[in-house]
Amino acid sequence: MNEELKLVITSSPHLRDETTVPWIMRQVVLALLPATIWGIYFFGVSSTLLTILLSVGSTIGFEALNCKIFKKPLSITDGSAVITGLLLGLSLPPSAPFWLPLVGGGAAIFLGKEMFGGLGQNIFNPALVGRAVLLVSWPKAMSTWWVSAPFGFSGFSGGGAASTFSGVEMVTTPTPLSIAQMYGYSSLHQADPRILWRLFVGQVPGSIGEISALFLLIGFLYLWWRGVVHWDIPLSYFVGLSCVAILGGQSALFHILSGGAIMGACFMATDYVTSPISSKGRYIFGLGAGAITGVIRLLGAYPEGVTFGILTMNALVPFLDYLLPPRFGVKKSNG
Amino acid sequence: MRLNTFPGGIHSPTFKEFTATKPIKEFPFPSRVVLPLLQHTGAPLSPLVKKGDRVKRGQKIADVEAFISAPLHSPLAGKVAGIEDYFHPLLGRFPALTIENDGSGEEERKDPLCDIENKDPAFLREWIREGGMVGLGGAAFPTHVKVSPPPGKKIDTFILNGAECEPYLTCDYRVMIERSSAILTGLRVLVRACGAERVFIGIEENKIEAIEKFDKLVKDLPFPARVVPLLTKYPQGSEKQLIVAILGREVPPGGLPLDVGVVVNNVQTAWAVGRMAEEGLPLIERVITLSGECLKSPENLQVPLGTVLSDLVDFCGGWVETPKKVIMGGPMMGVAQTSLQVPVVKGTSGFVFLSNLYEKKEYPCIRCRRCIDACPMRLFPTMLGKFSEYQAFDEARDQRVLDCMECGACSYVCPSNISLTHLIRLAKAEVMRRSRKGGNQ
Repeated sequence: MNEELKLVITSSPHLRDETTVPWIMRQVVLALLPATIWGIYFFGVSSTLLTILLSVGSTIGFEALNCKIFKKPLSITDGSAVITGLLLGLSLPPSAPFWLPLVGGGAAIFLGKEMFGGLGQNIFNPALVGRAVLLVSWPKAMSTWWVSAPFGFSGFSGGGAASTFSGVEMVTTPTPLSIAQMYGYSSLHQADPRILWRLFVGQVPGSIGEISALFLLIGFLYLWWRGVVHWDIPLSYFVGLSCVAILGGQSALFHILSGGAIMGACFMATDYVTSPISSKGRYIFGLGAGAITGVIRLLGAYPEGVTFGILTMNALVPFLDYLLPPRFGVKKSNG
Repeated sequence: MRLNTFPGGIHSPTFKEFTATKPIKEFPFPSRVVLPLLQHTGAPLSPLVKKGDRVKRGQKIADVEAFISAPLHSPLAGKVAGIEDYFHPLLGRFPALTIENDGSGEEERKDPLCDIENKDPAFLREWIREGGMVGLGGAAFPTHVKVSPPPGKKIDTFILNGAECEPYLTCDYRVMIERSSAILTGLRVLVRACGAERVFIGIEENKIEAIEKFDKLVKDLPFPARVVPLLTKYPQGSEKQLIVAILGREVPPGGLPLDVGVVVNNVQTAWAVGRMAEEGLPLIERVITLSGECLKSPENLQVPLGTVLSDLVDFCGGWVETPKKVIMGGPMMGVAQTSLQVPVVKGTSGFVFLSNLYEKKEYPCIRCRRCIDACPMRLFPTMLGKFSEYQAFDEARDQRVLDCMECGACSYVCPSNISLTHLIRLAKAEVMRRSRKGGNQ
């Protein structure tokens, strides 16, 4: 055997497994589909689908535009912009004005991601940056909930305006969180004794994709089964939120099930890029994000605190990353 | 069956089906062998023969006055054809002795070793060194050094490493099945030499035949010995991980198994030692696996050291597919070769011929933690990789870069296809260079 071979020389290892970044991103999108479909079904196609499509289109479009402006190779095929767009769209209220997802998508991609250097470099969760910009700029548009009449809460301030979309009777309604913040959880429970069950299955108005705990958890379990996410951050998030809720004299379960807590804990706080890589750091991150969410909900100016709870802890990630496990062989040995 | 293992690691396809059921074939004596003067981890050897000398099979032909070294013996009877630079599978090129087979088959054998349990350990260690014994798992660390406890340190446990976690390789498995009695003889010599009181034999559970075989055989040993079935997981055969899996002890940074009272030796090393005890032949042959989807007939072969790879490829019937990569060792830690002219050295556990280059698009790190979960040394490979990329070598040192043993698990799992192991290797080299200079610059 003396024939000349053209041999490739690289350093070891010479095997790679099949997992790729786009595969991971596809799994996340798949995991969000149950909640997405439920949101579209619950609020109706006309008031949700366009918002979601505009949001995803906006993040993809703005990322492409950014690549063009900064002469970078087109990065939209990695799939991360789709997730950002989907998460943003799902966190908007149904019947949002068309420009809301467009502006939010632009903010998410430019301010949240590309200004830091693109995928993997950003400190803050891009979807939450987009949402935060919208929340502080257009609080009214971000908290007006048009829902079909039977699901609204009447008798609390913030609701009552009525209109008709595509033949369906619609009213604006406050969310359970704003009712709880203004009137206390007990009056909400009086108004609707089955509130926790309705929150769990997703029959209480809220942002498009955040209403059904059930479908969000199904998606999360899928990701966990696929080995894409770990339960450490969601669990510690719920613990942090529950502690604050209980200290504030409210139902921990109500706080976990309402608003964007489950979406935030399972799909936003677990974002690879903006959560700590250190195991210890991840528990602190989850606890902190959950606790801040609770404090904002109970004491803050906003009825919802998921966005700023997670964004605040995002800022601590570079520090939390350094909480390394004990060095191999330095820990006291046994055996 | 309860399976021991270590935290971290990866479950890659094992690719052992190519050769796992193929009995060891003895490769016929080649017309010439090429023997580099460095075949082990340690000091290079000086030749004891010169061009034109006649040598016998088993005759010592190179040695050096250094503790961390092992002499070299001729695997053939023949004539020294020259001493010059030649291909080396790890070092590129290195001075090597070429011996041409004269067909005489003349041999020089040592006396068989009997009454092992009553021999002086110091005598056995010298006897092991004289046989040119090194670790045959791949690292080729001189065996007599491994079984020499430093003064004041007590060895309580001997671990026989039959994990063979590298994909494709099956030579240790075949040796365990087909050479088991010599392995036990070698084990007795090694245990006596290091003074251990008990023995564990670690074997991954995908080698069930070997586990069953040794389960029966260990009962006849003159010391307590037990087979420990291990989870099939890479790098289960790494010394430090094997000790964690079996004893729960962690070797300190920069330390050796001796520091936690343990000696680990590969099953094939035990076979080579046992063979010398029984037949008087030093380390002049070893069993290797030739495998990969490119090879017409993958084999487990017992080959003389110094056999040139192209002869082995011919023996295996050549290619069914032209290889794009030739690796000495397994595909996780093995070294890509530039030529088929490389010789088999003591540390050669096999050659793997790949046509799949596992090309995957590279993305930025998305901090998915897969490398951290895979790292058996509890390192943060992504962090170390970034330090290396930005030449922040002092930070890399502070974040324990020297603890990395380059098992490759991080690169294997990375969905962004970042060559983390390579980046960390570069950082390690630079950190070591700086510490030798005794300062930062």
